[in-house]
Amino acid sequence: MTDTAIAVDHLVKIYRRGKTEEVRAVDDLSFIVRRGSIFGLLGPNGAGKTTTIRILTTLARPSSGRATVLGHDVATHGLDVRKQIGVVIQEQAAELLLTVRDNLLTFARFRGHAGASVRRRAFDVIAQFGLDSVADTKVQDLSGGARRRVQVAKMFMIDVPVIFLDEFSSGMDPILKRSVIDMLREQSAAGRTIVLTTQILTEAEELCDDILIINKGRSIARGDLHHLKTLVDRLYEVTLSFERVPEDIEDNLVGFHPEEVSITHGTLRLKLRDEESRVLELVSVLARRGRLLRIEINGASLEDIFVELMQKSGGRS
Amino acid sequence: MSTRALEAVLFREAKIRATNWTFIFWDLLYPLGYLLVFGLGMNASLGFTSELTGLDYNAFFLAGVLGMASFGIASNTSWSFFLDRDNGIFYEMLTYPLSRSQYLVGKVLFNVGIALVQALLTVALSALLLGVRLEVRGLPLLVAATVVGTSGWFFFYAIFALRIRRNDTFNAVTSVFYFVFLFASSMFYPLEPLPRAFRFVASLNPITWHVDVLRYATIGVGAPRMIALEAGGFVLFTLVTFWLSVRALERE
Repeated sequence: MTDTAIAVDHLVKIYRRGKTEEVRAVDDLSFIVRRGSIFGLLGPNGAGKTTTIRILTTLARPSSGRATVLGHDVATHGLDVRKQIGVVIQEQAAELLLTVRDNLLTFARFRGHAGASVRRRAFDVIAQFGLDSVADTKVQDLSGGARRRVQVAKMFMIDVPVIFLDEFSSGMDPILKRSVIDMLREQSAAGRTIVLTTQILTEAEELCDDILIINKGRSIARGDLHHLKTLVDRLYEVTLSFERVPEDIEDNLVGFHPEEVSITHGTLRLKLRDEESRVLELVSVLARRGRLLRIEINGASLEDIFVELMQKSGGRS
Repeated sequence: MSTRALEAVLFREAKIRATNWTFIFWDLLYPLGYLLVFGLGMNASLGFTSELTGLDYNAFFLAGVLGMASFGIASNTSWSFFLDRDNGIFYEMLTYPLSRSQYLVGKVLFNVGIALVQALLTVALSALLLGVRLEVRGLPLLVAATVVGTSGWFFFYAIFALRIRRNDTFNAVTSVFYFVFLFASSMFYPLEPLPRAFRFVASLNPITWHVDVLRYATIGVGAPRMIALEAGGFVLFTLVTFWLSVRALERE
């Protein structure tokens, strides 16, 4: 059995706008997703993430190039691909006229699951997603956030090897999101491959083993978070919390040229692009200026990497 | 074709329709109501003269009402694509483990069931309440014509429901279809006394083929050779519309 769950090879998707204009939504994209990994596809609005997901889930056909899911070609063996995948599409998708419970049971039936064991599983999933109180309420009577929860909950009713989640966390509160992230990690540890797109970079930072950043349909950067951090040189975020921030503390920053400075409620935050020794030197100077409660020095966040890569690649799509 | 996938779509359609019993009640009884109100009214106020001697309008219109009911169910079923699109579930369903043709066939199966119950109820009550003399031998043909007829019209409508993105545009298209298909056919009146051009257009209309077969099946009126030709024509129409609707769904 090969280690590859998804293989994308020189994929191109061209949409026609009017009679003459062409939009290359995906432009010569190639990547591989390992089995059992959590793969994040990131990019600004219009970067081509959703189009890529639509092709991989057989909702759209590629204009050229090839993509396979567990060895099945998405263009020529769509049904074989669909037997292996579960998809949370970007748009809200639920049977509005059915109850939450019936949504889960109906979804499971498409995988051939019915009977007492599925009803028990639905009971558990409803509890995991905090939907107990509305289990027998029609989805049309729920809020947008609750509908999204129903949509994501459906993925936990089936045991397909690959799951696609397009902006899965929209409408979820932080506690539920944390719980879903934990569940996704468990699923991944059990061998499921998870492909997700998100605009919330901390989510990707926390969840993804492997990240591909795209813009204008093209690959900009690829790797795990550690590798991506090496792409943004010498960028540090420094946080110092004082009992009281000295009034003239900004005088100490002269010569270090921080990219960002903010002082709020006794906390000084800096973003610096410099040698590590110089950053430590500055921190040592600042630490002597008042009674210090906390120091934190971080390398670039995924958000920093993302912003910098977008700027390098010519801005947003 | 995997029965599991068909059974799942059928289950889904039944679950959704079961949430609205009024709708099912209306679906089952509206052709009968049409026959009782329109048919009885026409019969009583205008009388009925035709080369089809010994036949009253209730008996003649029975097949028309059955054809209209299949046409109406097909139109309503295809309209549900718009509802599913608005709910987002349409696109999610296209990622489920079923082929595009299974999706379409499964969707129509439940409604074929409704159409069958509706047809049998209408035929039985037309005999009991209106005294229509039925051809019992025609029952298998009635069942076949209802199944194929409802499916054919659903696939026909599905082509447009899948290609047209706006439901107001689709509504306009269906209104035109209702007018053209229903009135340029043998649904409401015999074609024999009509002008030649009208008869020619009606003879090309699949509703005429469908209704003529239903009329032969219910009251035994029609030349068997012509009915066989019309039945063959309608089966071909169903196969072509099925192929075109699958193509339309593949382009989604």
